[in-house]
Amino acid sequence: MALIPAGAAAQSGDLTRDFGVTGSVPGACAIGAPRLAPGAQINFLGLNGSTLQIDQLVDPTTLSTSAASAEVQFPASCAFPHRVRLESQNNGLWQTSERGAQPPDGFGHAVPYRALVQWAAENLRLDADAKIRRIADGSVFVEAEASGDLLLRLEIDPGATNTSANAPLLAGVYGDTLRITLEPLQ
Amino acid sequence: MRLTLSLLALLAAASATQAFAQSDTDTAGPFPVTGNVPALCSGGTVTGSGAFALGVLIDTGTGLLRTDLAAPPQIVAGAFCTTRSTISIAATPLSSVNNIAAPPGGFSRRVDYTATASGWTADAAAFSTGAADNPAATQVRATAFEGDITVAVSDFVTNGGDALRLVSDPEYEGSVTVTLAVDD
Repeated sequence: MALIPAGAAAQSGDLTRDFGVTGSVPGACAIGAPRLAPGAQINFLGLNGSTLQIDQLVDPTTLSTSAASAEVQFPASCAFPHRVRLESQNNGLWQTSERGAQPPDGFGHAVPYRALVQWAAENLRLDADAKIRRIADGSVFVEAEASGDLLLRLEIDPGATNTSANAPLLAGVYGDTLRITLEPLQ
Repeated sequence: MRLTLSLLALLAAASATQAFAQSDTDTAGPFPVTGNVPALCSGGTVTGSGAFALGVLIDTGTGLLRTDLAAPPQIVAGAFCTTRSTISIAATPLSSVNNIAAPPGGFSRRVDYTATASGWTADAAAFSTGAADNPAATQVRATAFEGDITVAVSDFVTNGGDALRLVSDPEYEGSVTVTLAVDD
Protein backbone atom coordinates (compact mmCIF):
# COMPACT_ATOMS: atom_id res chain seq x y z
CA MET A 1 0.00 0.00 0.00
CA ALA A 2 2.98 2.25 -0.08
CA LEU A 3 2.65 5.22 -2.42
CA ILE A 4 5.81 5.99 -4.34
CA PRO A 5 5.93 9.39 -6.07
CA ALA A 6 6.59 9.64 -9.80
CA GLY A 7 10.21 9.74 -11.12
CA ALA A 8 12.46 12.34 -9.52
CA ALA A 9 13.64 13.72 -12.90
CA ALA A 10 10.42 15.58 -13.46
CA GLN A 11 11.51 18.26 -11.01
CA SER A 12 15.17 18.92 -12.11
CA GLY A 13 16.02 22.45 -13.27
CA ASP A 14 18.92 24.46 -14.67
CA LEU A 15 20.23 27.60 -13.08
CA THR A 16 21.24 30.30 -15.57
CA ARG A 17 22.70 33.72 -14.95
CA ASP A 18 23.44 36.36 -17.61
CA PHE A 19 25.95 39.17 -17.29
CA GLY A 20 26.22 42.13 -19.68
CA VAL A 21 29.64 43.36 -20.81
CA THR A 22 29.74 46.99 -21.90
CA GLY A 23 32.26 49.56 -23.06
CA SER A 24 32.58 52.67 -25.20
CA VAL A 25 34.97 54.06 -27.78
CA PRO A 26 35.09 57.84 -28.10
CA GLY A 27 35.71 59.44 -31.49
CA ALA A 28 39.40 59.94 -30.99
CA CYS A 29 41.91 61.03 -33.60
CA ALA A 30 45.64 60.59 -33.27
CA ILE A 31 48.60 61.86 -35.34
CA GLY A 32 52.06 60.41 -34.90
CA ALA A 33 55.52 61.84 -35.39
CA PRO A 34 56.46 63.01 -38.91
CA ARG A 35 59.00 61.36 -41.12
CA LEU A 36 60.32 62.36 -44.52
CA ALA A 37 58.82 60.48 -47.43
CA PRO A 38 61.69 58.65 -49.07
CA GLY A 39 63.26 60.14 -52.20
CA ALA A 40 60.90 63.09 -52.61
CA GLN A 41 62.99 66.03 -51.44
CA ILE A 42 64.46 68.80 -53.54
CA ASN A 43 66.58 71.43 -51.82
CA PHE A 44 65.62 70.37 -48.33
CA LEU A 45 68.19 69.39 -45.73
CA GLY A 46 65.83 67.21 -43.85
CA LEU A 47 63.52 66.90 -40.89
CA ASN A 48 65.04 67.87 -37.57
CA GLY A 49 62.51 66.89 -34.93
CA SER A 50 59.51 68.70 -36.32
CA THR A 51 61.46 71.37 -38.22
CA LEU A 52 61.83 71.09 -41.99
CA GLN A 53 65.00 72.78 -43.10
CA ILE A 54 65.44 74.19 -46.57
CA ASP A 55 68.98 73.77 -47.86
CA GLN A 56 69.44 76.92 -49.92
CA LEU A 57 66.52 79.29 -50.02
CA VAL A 58 68.28 81.68 -52.37
CA ASP A 59 69.77 80.95 -55.78
CA PRO A 60 73.28 82.46 -55.68
CA THR A 61 73.07 83.70 -59.29
CA THR A 62 69.72 85.48 -59.12
CA LEU A 63 69.56 86.11 -55.37
CA SER A 64 65.94 85.08 -55.68
CA THR A 65 64.15 82.05 -54.38
CA SER A 66 65.34 78.59 -55.29
CA ALA A 67 62.89 75.83 -56.05
CA ALA A 68 62.31 73.44 -53.19
CA SER A 69 59.89 70.66 -52.40
CA ALA A 70 59.50 68.04 -49.71
CA GLU A 71 57.01 65.41 -48.61
CA VAL A 72 56.39 64.49 -45.00
CA GLN A 73 54.35 61.52 -43.76
CA PHE A 74 52.45 61.37 -40.49
CA PRO A 75 50.88 58.11 -39.28
CA ALA A 76 47.34 59.09 -38.36
CA SER A 77 44.02 57.61 -37.45
CA CYS A 78 40.49 58.85 -36.73
CA ALA A 79 37.85 56.50 -35.38
CA PHE A 80 35.04 58.80 -36.42
CA PRO A 81 34.07 61.12 -39.29
CA HIS A 82 36.30 64.13 -38.96
CA ARG A 83 37.71 67.32 -40.40
CA VAL A 84 41.30 67.84 -41.48
CA ARG A 85 42.53 71.38 -40.95
CA LEU A 86 45.81 72.82 -42.20
CA GLU A 87 46.90 76.12 -40.75
CA SER A 88 49.83 78.32 -41.74
CA GLN A 89 50.84 80.79 -39.07
CA ASN A 90 52.49 83.32 -41.40
CA ASN A 91 50.83 82.67 -44.77
CA GLY A 92 54.26 82.17 -46.34
CA LEU A 93 57.91 82.08 -45.32
CA TRP A 94 58.51 85.40 -43.63
CA GLN A 95 61.63 86.78 -42.03
CA THR A 96 61.91 85.71 -38.44
CA SER A 97 64.79 88.07 -37.80
CA GLU A 98 66.36 91.21 -39.24
CA ARG A 99 63.02 92.81 -39.92
CA GLY A 100 63.66 96.38 -40.97
CA ALA A 101 61.14 99.16 -40.66
CA GLN A 102 60.32 99.22 -44.36
CA PRO A 103 61.67 96.76 -46.86
CA PRO A 104 63.39 98.53 -49.79
CA ASP A 105 61.67 98.51 -53.17
CA GLY A 106 62.53 95.78 -55.56
CA PHE A 107 63.35 93.27 -52.85
CA GLY A 108 61.22 90.40 -51.78
CA HIS A 109 60.88 89.77 -48.07
CA ALA A 110 58.57 86.78 -47.93
CA VAL A 111 58.34 83.55 -49.90
CA PRO A 112 55.00 82.05 -50.93
CA TYR A 113 54.55 78.32 -51.11
CA ARG A 114 51.90 75.64 -51.65
CA ALA A 115 51.01 73.08 -49.01
CA LEU A 116 49.09 70.00 -50.09
CA VAL A 117 47.61 67.41 -47.73
CA GLN A 118 46.55 63.96 -48.91
CA TRP A 119 44.53 61.93 -46.43
CA ALA A 120 41.89 59.23 -46.75
CA ALA A 121 41.25 59.88 -50.45
CA GLU A 122 40.74 63.59 -49.77
CA ASN A 123 43.01 66.40 -50.91
CA LEU A 124 43.48 69.73 -49.22
CA ARG A 125 45.45 72.58 -50.78
CA LEU A 126 46.60 75.68 -49.01
CA ASP A 127 48.20 78.50 -51.00
CA ALA A 128 50.31 80.53 -48.60
CA ASP A 129 50.64 83.50 -50.95
CA ALA A 130 52.76 85.70 -48.61
CA LYS A 131 50.81 88.80 -49.59
CA ILE A 132 49.91 89.64 -46.00
CA ARG A 133 51.45 88.14 -42.91
CA ARG A 134 48.50 86.47 -41.25
CA ILE A 135 47.09 83.08 -40.35
CA ALA A 136 45.87 81.17 -43.37
CA ASP A 137 44.02 77.89 -43.17
CA GLY A 138 41.95 75.43 -45.10
CA SER A 139 40.01 72.32 -44.17
CA VAL A 140 38.30 69.32 -45.70
CA PHE A 141 35.73 66.92 -44.28
CA VAL A 142 36.30 63.19 -44.22
CA GLU A 143 33.02 61.31 -43.98
CA ALA A 144 34.30 58.07 -42.46
CA GLU A 145 36.85 56.60 -40.13
CA ALA A 146 40.33 56.53 -41.61
CA SER A 147 43.70 55.16 -40.74
CA GLY A 148 47.03 55.32 -42.53
CA ASP A 149 49.62 57.91 -43.50
CA LEU A 150 48.73 61.57 -43.87
CA LEU A 151 50.92 63.10 -46.57
CA LEU A 152 51.99 66.75 -46.50
CA ARG A 153 53.74 68.11 -49.57
CA LEU A 154 55.39 71.53 -49.66
CA GLU A 155 56.31 73.22 -52.93
CA ILE A 156 58.25 76.45 -53.43
CA ASP A 157 58.49 77.75 -56.97
CA PRO A 158 61.76 79.19 -58.24
CA GLY A 159 61.80 82.99 -58.14
CA ALA A 160 58.65 83.14 -56.03
CA THR A 161 58.58 86.18 -53.76
CA ASN A 162 55.87 88.27 -52.23
CA THR A 163 56.71 91.31 -54.38
CA SER A 164 57.57 90.37 -57.93
CA ALA A 165 58.79 87.21 -59.56
CA ASN A 166 62.54 86.72 -59.39
CA ALA A 167 63.03 89.70 -57.10
CA PRO A 168 66.10 89.33 -54.89
CA LEU A 169 65.35 88.32 -51.33
CA LEU A 170 66.40 90.34 -48.32
CA ALA A 171 68.89 88.62 -46.08
CA GLY A 172 67.58 86.86 -43.00
CA VAL A 173 66.09 83.69 -41.63
CA TYR A 174 62.72 82.89 -43.17
CA GLY A 175 60.21 80.54 -41.67
CA ASP A 176 56.61 79.55 -41.11
CA THR A 177 54.77 77.18 -38.77
CA LEU A 178 52.26 74.68 -40.09
CA ARG A 179 49.68 72.95 -37.94
CA ILE A 180 47.70 69.92 -38.99
CA THR A 181 44.61 69.11 -36.93
CA LEU A 182 42.30 66.11 -37.13
CA GLU A 183 39.02 66.95 -35.42
CA PRO A 184 36.35 64.31 -34.85
CA LEU A 185 32.90 65.64 -35.77
CA GLN A 186 30.97 64.84 -32.61
CA MET B 1 -26.17 -4.72 37.19
CA ARG B 2 -22.82 -3.88 38.50
CA LEU B 3 -22.03 -7.35 39.44
CA THR B 4 -22.84 -8.60 36.02
CA LEU B 5 -20.51 -6.18 34.31
CA SER B 6 -17.67 -7.03 36.50
CA LEU B 7 -18.01 -10.65 35.74
CA LEU B 8 -17.96 -9.96 32.00
CA ALA B 9 -14.86 -7.86 32.28
CA LEU B 10 -13.07 -10.59 34.11
CA LEU B 11 -14.04 -13.11 31.54
CA ALA B 12 -12.82 -10.88 28.71
CA ALA B 13 -9.54 -10.35 30.42
CA ALA B 14 -9.07 -14.02 30.92
CA SER B 15 -9.75 -14.86 27.30
CA ALA B 16 -7.43 -12.13 26.04
CA THR B 17 -4.64 -13.48 28.10
CA GLN B 18 -5.26 -16.86 26.69
CA ALA B 19 -5.02 -15.63 23.05
CA PHE B 20 -1.64 -14.02 23.63
CA ALA B 21 -0.23 -16.93 25.43
CA GLN B 22 0.91 -18.39 22.15
CA SER B 23 3.67 -15.74 21.33
CA ASP B 24 5.62 -13.06 23.17
CA THR B 25 5.91 -10.37 20.43
CA ASP B 26 4.60 -9.79 16.99
CA THR B 27 5.32 -7.11 14.39
CA ALA B 28 3.37 -5.65 11.54
CA GLY B 29 4.97 -4.28 8.39
CA PRO B 30 7.44 -3.27 7.06
CA PHE B 31 5.75 -0.07 5.92
CA PRO B 32 8.11 1.78 3.54
CA VAL B 33 8.52 5.44 4.21
CA THR B 34 9.70 7.17 1.09
CA GLY B 35 10.32 10.65 -0.17
CA ASN B 36 12.31 12.01 -3.03
CA VAL B 37 14.81 14.74 -3.54
CA PRO B 38 14.59 15.98 -7.07
CA ALA B 39 17.82 16.36 -8.95
CA LEU B 40 18.05 20.09 -9.49
CA CYS B 41 20.25 23.14 -9.36
CA SER B 42 18.89 26.28 -7.83
CA GLY B 43 19.55 29.28 -5.71
CA GLY B 44 22.39 31.65 -6.38
CA THR B 45 22.05 35.36 -5.93
CA VAL B 46 24.35 37.69 -7.83
CA THR B 47 26.33 39.98 -5.57
CA GLY B 48 27.66 43.01 -7.39
CA SER B 49 26.25 45.05 -10.24
CA GLY B 50 25.44 42.04 -12.42
CA ALA B 51 27.40 43.46 -15.35
CA PHE B 52 30.99 44.07 -16.41
CA ALA B 53 31.25 47.78 -17.20
CA LEU B 54 34.63 48.38 -18.81
CA GLY B 55 34.25 52.08 -19.59
CA VAL B 56 36.37 53.64 -22.33
CA LEU B 57 37.99 50.83 -24.28
CA ILE B 58 40.76 52.74 -26.03
CA ASP B 59 43.83 54.76 -25.19
CA THR B 60 42.75 58.10 -26.64
CA GLY B 61 46.36 59.01 -27.44
CA THR B 62 46.89 56.09 -29.79
CA GLY B 63 43.36 55.00 -30.64
CA LEU B 64 44.31 51.40 -29.80
CA LEU B 65 42.67 49.08 -27.28
CA ARG B 66 43.77 49.78 -23.73
CA THR B 67 46.10 47.18 -22.30
CA ASP B 68 44.76 47.58 -18.76
CA LEU B 69 41.07 46.79 -19.32
CA ALA B 70 39.52 45.22 -16.23
CA ALA B 71 36.22 44.95 -14.38
CA PRO B 72 35.52 43.55 -10.91
CA PRO B 73 34.40 39.90 -10.94
CA GLN B 74 30.75 39.02 -10.30
CA ILE B 75 29.85 36.45 -7.65
CA VAL B 76 26.91 34.05 -7.83
CA ALA B 77 26.51 33.23 -4.13
CA GLY B 78 24.80 30.25 -2.57
CA ALA B 79 23.99 28.20 -5.66
CA PHE B 80 23.47 24.50 -5.06
CA CYS B 81 22.96 21.30 -6.99
CA THR B 82 21.52 18.21 -5.34
CA THR B 83 23.45 15.81 -7.53
CA ARG B 84 26.25 15.58 -10.06
CA SER B 85 26.26 18.75 -12.17
CA THR B 86 27.91 20.57 -15.03
CA ILE B 87 28.85 24.22 -15.13
CA SER B 88 28.97 25.89 -18.55
CA ILE B 89 30.04 29.34 -19.59
CA ALA B 90 29.43 31.07 -22.90
CA ALA B 91 30.22 34.60 -24.03
CA THR B 92 29.61 36.86 -27.02
CA PRO B 93 32.33 39.31 -28.11
CA LEU B 94 32.18 42.98 -27.27
CA SER B 95 30.89 44.52 -30.52
CA SER B 96 29.90 47.97 -31.67
CA VAL B 97 26.13 48.23 -31.44
CA ASN B 98 25.66 51.08 -33.92
CA ASN B 99 28.30 50.18 -36.51
CA ILE B 100 27.18 46.90 -37.96
CA ALA B 101 28.78 47.19 -41.41
CA ALA B 102 32.27 45.86 -42.01
CA PRO B 103 34.69 48.52 -40.81
CA PRO B 104 37.12 50.27 -43.19
CA GLY B 105 40.74 49.19 -43.48
CA GLY B 106 42.73 49.70 -40.30
CA PHE B 107 39.70 49.39 -38.05
CA SER B 108 37.80 46.73 -36.15
CA ARG B 109 34.35 46.76 -34.54
CA ARG B 110 34.88 43.87 -32.15
CA VAL B 111 36.85 43.06 -29.01
CA ASP B 112 37.43 39.42 -28.03
CA TYR B 113 37.94 38.31 -24.46
CA THR B 114 37.93 35.31 -22.14
CA ALA B 115 35.17 34.68 -19.59
CA THR B 116 35.75 32.27 -16.69
CA ALA B 117 33.53 30.73 -14.01
CA SER B 118 35.49 29.38 -11.06
CA GLY B 119 34.80 27.98 -7.62
CA TRP B 120 32.42 25.20 -8.68
CA THR B 121 34.83 22.74 -10.21
CA ALA B 122 38.55 22.04 -9.82
CA ASP B 123 39.20 23.51 -13.28
CA ALA B 124 37.41 26.76 -14.04
CA ALA B 125 35.01 26.78 -16.97
CA ALA B 126 36.47 29.14 -19.59
CA PHE B 127 35.21 30.54 -22.89
CA SER B 128 37.22 32.69 -25.30
CA THR B 129 35.13 34.58 -27.83
CA GLY B 130 37.96 34.62 -30.33
CA ALA B 131 38.68 30.89 -30.18
CA ALA B 132 37.50 28.43 -32.83
CA ASP B 133 36.34 26.05 -30.13
CA ASN B 134 36.20 26.07 -26.35
CA PRO B 135 36.62 22.58 -24.89
CA ALA B 136 36.98 23.99 -21.38
CA ALA B 137 33.65 25.79 -21.53
CA THR B 138 31.85 22.94 -19.73
CA GLN B 139 33.19 21.34 -16.56
CA VAL B 140 31.69 18.48 -14.51
CA ARG B 141 31.33 18.23 -10.74
CA ALA B 142 30.77 14.64 -9.68
CA THR B 143 29.19 15.40 -6.31
CA ALA B 144 26.33 17.50 -5.01
CA PHE B 145 27.59 20.90 -3.99
CA GLU B 146 26.71 24.29 -2.63
CA GLY B 147 29.02 27.20 -3.11
CA ASP B 148 29.89 30.50 -4.72
CA ILE B 149 30.76 30.89 -8.38
CA THR B 150 33.11 33.70 -9.39
CA VAL B 151 32.58 35.00 -12.93
CA ALA B 152 35.36 37.12 -14.44
CA VAL B 153 36.39 38.60 -17.81
CA SER B 154 39.97 39.10 -18.99
CA ASP B 155 42.46 38.92 -21.87
CA PHE B 156 40.91 41.55 -24.13
CA VAL B 157 42.20 41.70 -27.71
CA THR B 158 41.09 43.62 -30.77
CA ASN B 159 39.52 41.22 -33.24
CA GLY B 160 41.61 41.20 -36.39
CA GLY B 161 44.90 42.26 -34.83
CA ASP B 162 46.47 44.57 -32.25
CA ALA B 163 47.31 47.23 -34.82
CA LEU B 164 43.65 47.83 -35.71
CA ARG B 165 41.79 50.63 -34.07
CA LEU B 166 38.20 50.41 -32.84
CA VAL B 167 35.46 52.34 -34.62
CA SER B 168 33.95 55.01 -32.48
CA ASP B 169 30.69 54.12 -30.72
CA PRO B 170 29.48 54.90 -27.21
CA GLU B 171 27.88 51.44 -27.10
CA TYR B 172 29.96 48.33 -27.30
CA GLU B 173 28.12 45.29 -25.91
CA GLY B 174 28.76 41.64 -25.22
CA SER B 175 27.37 39.12 -22.75
CA VAL B 176 28.43 36.24 -20.53
CA THR B 177 26.06 33.38 -19.60
CA VAL B 178 26.78 30.89 -16.83
CA THR B 179 24.62 27.75 -16.55
CA LEU B 180 24.49 25.10 -13.81
CA ALA B 181 22.73 21.96 -14.93
CA VAL B 182 22.10 18.53 -13.52
CA ASP B 183 24.36 16.00 -15.18
CA ASP B 184 22.08 13.06 -15.93
